[in-house]
Amino acid sequence: MTLSPATSRITRRRVVGGTAAVGAALVVPAVVSSSAASAAAAIELVPADADLHLLRRATYGLTAASVAEIRRIGRSAWLDRQLDPASIRDDRGADIATRFPLAGASNDTLKARVKAGTLKQYAWDAMYQTGYAAMSRAIWSERQLFEVMVDFWSNHLNVTCPSSDVWDSRPDYDRTVIRAYAFGRFADMLKASAKHPAMLTYLDNRFSTKTAPNENYGRELLELHTVGLVYSESDVKNAARLLTGLTVDWNTGNYKYAATTHATGPVSIMGFSHPNATTADGEPGSLQLLDYLALHPATARRIATKLCVRFVSDTPPDTLVTRLAKVYLDNGSAIVPVLRALFTSTEFAASRGQKARTPYEDLVASVRALALTPDASGTKGMEALYYYASNAGQGPMAWATPDGYPDVESAWSSPSGLLTRWNAHLNLAAGYWPTELTRPASLFTELIGPLPATYGALVDTLAQRLFGQNLSTAHRATATAYFSKTPADPLKSTDSAVGWAFPYLVACLLNSPYFGIR
Amino acid sequence: MTMTDASCCTTSRRRFLGTAAAAGALIGFGADQISTQLAYAAGPYSGDVFVLLSLRGGFDGLSAIVPAFDADYYAARPTIAVPRSQLLGDDPRFGLHPALKPLLPLWNAGTFGAIHAAGQPTPNRSHFAAMEELERAAPGTSVRTGWLNRVLGGLGATTPMNGMAVGSFMPARVMAGPSPELDLSSIDGFTLAGEAKYQPMTATMTGLYAGVPGIMGDTATRLTSALGTMKTATAAQPASSTQYPTTPLGKALRDVARLVKSDVGLMSACVDSGDWDMHENLGTAAPGKKMYDNLTQLAAALAAFAADLGPDTMKRVTLVTVSEFGRRVAENGSAGLDHGYGNAMLMLGGSINGGQVHGTWPGLGDRSLVDGDLKVTTDYRAVIAEILQKRCGLTNVGSVFPNVTPTTLGVVKAR
Repeated sequence: MTLSPATSRITRRRVVGGTAAVGAALVVPAVVSSSAASAAAAIELVPADADLHLLRRATYGLTAASVAEIRRIGRSAWLDRQLDPASIRDDRGADIATRFPLAGASNDTLKARVKAGTLKQYAWDAMYQTGYAAMSRAIWSERQLFEVMVDFWSNHLNVTCPSSDVWDSRPDYDRTVIRAYAFGRFADMLKASAKHPAMLTYLDNRFSTKTAPNENYGRELLELHTVGLVYSESDVKNAARLLTGLTVDWNTGNYKYAATTHATGPVSIMGFSHPNATTADGEPGSLQLLDYLALHPATARRIATKLCVRFVSDTPPDTLVTRLAKVYLDNGSAIVPVLRALFTSTEFAASRGQKARTPYEDLVASVRALALTPDASGTKGMEALYYYASNAGQGPMAWATPDGYPDVESAWSSPSGLLTRWNAHLNLAAGYWPTELTRPASLFTELIGPLPATYGALVDTLAQRLFGQNLSTAHRATATAYFSKTPADPLKSTDSAVGWAFPYLVACLLNSPYFGIR
Repeated sequence: MTMTDASCCTTSRRRFLGTAAAAGALIGFGADQISTQLAYAAGPYSGDVFVLLSLRGGFDGLSAIVPAFDADYYAARPTIAVPRSQLLGDDPRFGLHPALKPLLPLWNAGTFGAIHAAGQPTPNRSHFAAMEELERAAPGTSVRTGWLNRVLGGLGATTPMNGMAVGSFMPARVMAGPSPELDLSSIDGFTLAGEAKYQPMTATMTGLYAGVPGIMGDTATRLTSALGTMKTATAAQPASSTQYPTTPLGKALRDVARLVKSDVGLMSACVDSGDWDMHENLGTAAPGKKMYDNLTQLAAALAAFAADLGPDTMKRVTLVTVSEFGRRVAENGSAGLDHGYGNAMLMLGGSINGGQVHGTWPGLGDRSLVDGDLKVTTDYRAVIAEILQKRCGLTNVGSVFPNVTPTTLGVVKAR
């Protein structure tokens, strides 16, 4: 594997005007500009609406259909359904799989294609299709929470996609490790990852030998995949030794255990010990270690923390982390009970407004909000969305280092990144690029419906549709001022704000802080 | 060369990030923070533009600046040591990797140089924790800002144009803090769509973020305030004779040079170069091998940067490299190198004392190593402090690097 520039950007601690709490974005005094009295009004960026709060966190963003569904069946039934993805009919998901036949393809499938002359050796096509499919599912699959968790685990056990040397294994890793166990037990996912050619290649364990073990996988297994930064250098060396022998067959490209390269001798790792007496002990010993690590209290706490950072707050409450870690251990690392406990917790309910969208989440949510759907045929538009995410610095699964994309607002608070998002909003809303996606017959009719009486009402209707919240009085006036109008000015069907200029208003609201909150 | 023999430095590993997993706890600017904003009247900045180049992943300084005189180097690396016959330069002790050939003229002219056995005060072999500490650069304190942001404070930065992280869409942690700075993915891409005579997009965005506190409001404010100024830099173009490589580093350094030329107020820039984590097949010094190819790209970008700015402008530009750690002295079983400790820093600039290797060589014998790694005899912060003091006019280096005394190695000329 390789480390790229982006690694420096993990946990930015920007210090902003003394307002340390991210959640402070929720309710704040706003100074009304040019008012000498500087009367303070409250800016509410997100509505006090538990349904919408759950949708914003457990899906990739509001759609008219998802809002209608949760209103109809209630949060509890909605969550039950999402936690049982097989019960959800998902025609769009099936269609995406058909359009990207190499997404998740096995090593054998790719080898057969190469043999048949329909794929070049070492081609990145299957890795790219896996990425296109990931973003398309994030946008259009009905199994939204499942797709969110696929993204979570893809980052937790990151194998950069695309990256060299895993052209034939990374697609399979997505299907047989990440998607297979996304709602399963973490211990099973961890063991599957350890024996997968993609991980064995990415973190070099396939190259490790008994004479001078390669420490790359042993270290990141402890630091990133399981217990966190509580290990010692001795733990790394012992783990690296025990893991020697887990490798990839050069002829088939599949996993194999090579006893001849295994380093014997007793090992001790984070309280786990194994006599490791013979060359046959490497594989079973390693699997025991992985089970031990998956169920280590430090791992439970780490995964609970990461889930809370994902779904609750950049600075999650300790009470919730502690409770979720216990649920994790009580259930043998099964994830669904942990998610259920998280989403039904009081801490979750109280965390409204405390998460901001990353660039990827922003793009996906924008496409959903605009009711864009896949290309009439082919995949060009869907592929373009993937490149949009890449250009914004967050192509799905493409983070260059083994720690996965950062999941906190401070790590993404870059002017250049924000600018890219703003420009994307206009391009998507106006249909400038990509041009191949299927668009509503009339964006105005889709998002607004009948003609509102005033410019203020137009802004209100759009804001309600995009984020379920009215703009503050000052922001509302700013939005209508884009058309040199006041909120009270009447709106006529011949006005540009209803016609060619309407997408610009949509872009302004998608650019606004109201849409930036998850 | 000025390297002397000695030994020093503690070997105890410190754990300063017990809760690193919490990833991104936003920590406020506490009362115990060091004040870096100096009170002097801000005149035009006349010091060097200080460029920090971070080599991500753990740069193998022993391959770049090879201790050819040390038999232990060759003993530790039976397959991947760079043979003496391939080394560049006429220093009998240290030779340059052959892939650094584009920089040899600069080395001979004294505008490219190195410091060896440099690094952090204590070993840290985790990429993620070591990088965090490298960029905080204040072990044993509760300081949470990036050290380059503290430099900006010390130099009296007042606008985001004074400090820029160039080449990425994400904020650079080393620049994170209260002093204004800008994360610039590229100059040419820094344009807001939809802005036209009757479409006041920038003004509308300014209005829609008015009163929004915290990170969101701050980021939007820095963006809208920089959109206009950046147009100035768009006009500056590289010297027609200069060919930058089309790598991310080449593009980023090209933009740094444009910012320098356009005189928008740049005091400091930081740039990244990745892919140095070579656990496997670091390789011999030949094309197609990882270290050779990466050094080739690095040298091409640095040489283009120096050529583009030209000798006169380079007299007030100083670039240094840092990396989170060096690599293990002995190669592993897959012809690669695991995580290590001491490292080489590279310097480029018209006012450096280059063409030589500064520092104190600790040796590579078993008893000289720290758990198999090159010892650190020079704190990277002390080297940078010497540069900031002599070239940038920073008067209070303690405000940037608490409890650090600048080196007296003479790595740069006094102004």
